[in-house]
Formats: sequence, structure tokens, C-alpha cells
Amino acid sequence: MTTRGEFVRDDVVEVRLEDMSPELRALIAYEPNGALDVEVPQTAIDEVRQTMPVVRWEMGVGFFGMDDIVAAGRNPDIGSVVMGMGSEDPLIPLQIDGDLHRHYRKLLDPLFAPKKMAALEPDIRKLADELIDGFVGDGHVELHDAFCVPLPSTIFLRIFGLPLEDAPFLISMKDRILKNEATTREEAEVIGQAAGRELREHLQTRLDERRVEGARHDDLLDQFMHFQVDGHGLDDREVVNIMQLFTIAGLDTVTSSLSCIVAWLATHPDVRRQVVAEPDRLPDAIEEIMRFESPVPSSGARTAIRDTEVNGVPIKQGEMVYLCWASANLDPATFDHPLEAHLDRVDNRHIAFAAGIHRCLGSHLARAELRAAVDQLHRRIPDYWVSEGDQIQYEFAGVRQALHLPLSFTAA
Amino acid sequence: MSMRVDIDTDRCNGHGRCYDVAPDLFDADDDGRGVVVRADVPPELVEQARRAEGGCPERAITVIDS
Repeated sequence: MTTRGEFVRDDVVEVRLEDMSPELRALIAYEPNGALDVEVPQTAIDEVRQTMPVVRWEMGVGFFGMDDIVAAGRNPDIGSVVMGMGSEDPLIPLQIDGDLHRHYRKLLDPLFAPKKMAALEPDIRKLADELIDGFVGDGHVELHDAFCVPLPSTIFLRIFGLPLEDAPFLISMKDRILKNEATTREEAEVIGQAAGRELREHLQTRLDERRVEGARHDDLLDQFMHFQVDGHGLDDREVVNIMQLFTIAGLDTVTSSLSCIVAWLATHPDVRRQVVAEPDRLPDAIEEIMRFESPVPSSGARTAIRDTEVNGVPIKQGEMVYLCWASANLDPATFDHPLEAHLDRVDNRHIAFAAGIHRCLGSHLARAELRAAVDQLHRRIPDYWVSEGDQIQYEFAGVRQALHLPLSFTAA
Repeated sequence: MSMRVDIDTDRCNGHGRCYDVAPDLFDADDDGRGVVVRADVPPELVEQARRAEGGCPERAITVIDS
């Protein structure tokens, strides 16, 4: 306590970027140094949270504990910064705040509501089957590229109403925006902005084609074109903006989650056998693996749009705020034995889909995809293991994924 | 002794864990936010109630034992 009786945190560690461990820089600065490109990054991430539950560095404040992060996620003074996604306009709805943000979420949430997403299950299973048909006879597969990339991309294009042939282009633009060859943040932003422009031009072309065609379609592009709230619709710029965010948010994230889940099941055969034998335990298993792996490890840069505080930690307007979902998901204050993944964990209040007002809009879609795709994989290929003589390669960049996932199984 | 469940709608951000783990007590509205469909908790649904309370990342669910 100060002499004025204010509550003052004693666990805020001040550190300069150059003095940070590579693991901390990989997290808070998204530095692609490879420090967390390992099978079990959880130990290092937990170590960060233990030694520095709150970090103050040149750019702002980083939070690593569950309680602080949930409080920050709920705090309306902490918004988003327009950066890192290839757009000079704030991307909707992630980089919007306040009433406007609420307005957009009110429009968009119903389109991604759980019951709507559950209706996609047969399509997801069918698509999974088609992809599996492509390798089931081989006895081995590199699953990241053969399954984890195409499945969410194809579902995404279908839901949106974009032609399948757009997949390579969208993925390539998304890659250029999120992880290009630049060595500095400024350079990365320039390359990302150029890719973003190209992406928006392409999306605008698709929008124009729809207008010329004039027919209605049962997809999101159609919904966006015909939204009406208080007599107002979305203009082209807004529609293209939303589609850009969804392109970035909807591809990498499900791909990485799918790869982490299957990689984990491949390396934990006891659990895999359990969920194959009892498929109704798969949803719980997926939640626990999502908690443990946290494929989207953090919020990226957010910003204090006003002077504010989080549980006694003061933040000045304009300071960056970093929220680490991955470390919160390993917090012993929230989870018993957090460094062990338990199929039977109850009270699994993980925040792998973020917390607070920017809770992942696509979380219900992601869950529908993950559950149906993994279950269908298990129906076709119940017994798989990491190919002998090879190993899983993990990458910890904007997302954590099993980039190289070599599996063997009994050929069908 | 009776047990009831409640959702704090200000805290709810539509994670959807409550209706996932306690489908006899909660359902999703059109936005994906939780709604209580059955407030009173009979003995056979106590486990669902506890799982919903413990599973909400925003701590929006309360189980009231009176």
C-alpha cells in the first residue's frame, strides 16, 4: 500500500526488450527466434508467468495471469491498435472499440451462432472424408498440408461464398500479411499493407461479380451485402474490410488448432485410444488440448484508449497491452495441475478463444470444425502414430502449430 | 434446500461453455450468449450446474444454494 492507501502491485517486473529472454521476446514481441518451436513450450511459458506475472517494457504492459487477463479482456478502456493485419483502416470487428464494436458484433454474432455452425457438421465430415480419401490408402501422410490447411480453408470459402480456386491466393496473402520475410516491424508492416491492398482488391472483384450476377445466395457474402440495421446497410468498404479480417482470422487459427490437436493425440496414444473408443469424450479432450496447447497464444497488441488500470496495474493512454492466453491457460490459480493435460478435467475455463469483449467471433465455427474433423479422422483412421524416422516440427509464430505432422497408420 | 443457476448477462461474452456442458439448464440465444432454460437444479443436474459454473471463463454463471 502507498501512503495514500492505494493498492500497489508488487509483482510488476520492469524489463527492457533487449534484456528479455528469447522465450519472452517470442511471446510479447512476436520475435521469430524459434525459442518456443518445441514440442513442450508449456514449461517455458509457465516459467515466464511465475517470474513475471506482469511485465512493463518500453512499449507497454504485458499480463500473464488468468485473473488479470480476464479483467483486461473485459475492460472497455483497452481496445485494439491498427497494426499487423495489412490495413490502414481498423479491421472490423477486432480493431474497433466501444459502441461501434458492439454494433458490429450484434450484426455478426448471429451469423456465427452455435446452432448455425452445428448445421455445418455434415459438410465438414464430408469434406474431411474427401481429404482423407486422398491419403488413406498410402499408410502415411504429412497431415498439416494434406488436411489441416485445406479443411478450414475450404469450409471458409464455402461459408463465405468465394470460389474454391481462391484458396491459394487467400492463403498466400494471409501469409504475407502475418509472417513475411521482413526483419523489422516497420518493414513487415509495409509488406503486409501491400498484401492487404491486393487482398482487398480481389475481394472487391468478387463483390462486384455478385452485384452483376444479381442473384441471392445462401452465404455470408450475400448476408453482408444485404445487412440492414436502422435502415443502414454495410458499404463495400466495410464488407471488404470484414472479409479481410475473416481471411486472416479464419484460416491460420483453425489450421493450427487442428494440427496441435492431432499432433497431441498422435503422441499420447492412451488418450487417443480412449476417445476413439468413446467418441462422446472427444469434445472434452479437444477443450483440454486447446487449453494446454493454446494454438493462438496471445492477443497481439492491444492499446489503452484511455488512462486505465487492471487489478491495480496502471496503464497510460496509448500504451500497448499484451495478453497471453497461453500462460493464463496454465495458471495454477485457475487450474489444478495445469501442466498436465487431463481428458477428464472439469472446470476447464480456458481462454484459448480469448476472453472479454473480443472473444473469438469464430469460436463456435472453430469448435464445430475441430470436433467433426477429428471425429471423422478417427472413424477412418483410428490408429495413427508419428512416422518412424521422422518427427513433428512445431512452429511458434503468430500461432502455434505442428507445421510438419508426419503420421503413419494402417493403410486402408 | 434448493439450488438455482443464474447468468450475469453483463459478464457473459458468449463463450458457450455453459450450454455445452449443461444442456439441461442452459441454451444459446441467437447471438450465442447463454440463457437459463431451467433455473431450479434437481439432484440429477447438480453436476451439470457445477460444471457450468466452473467452466465459464468470465465467471458469469453462479450456482445459488439456499
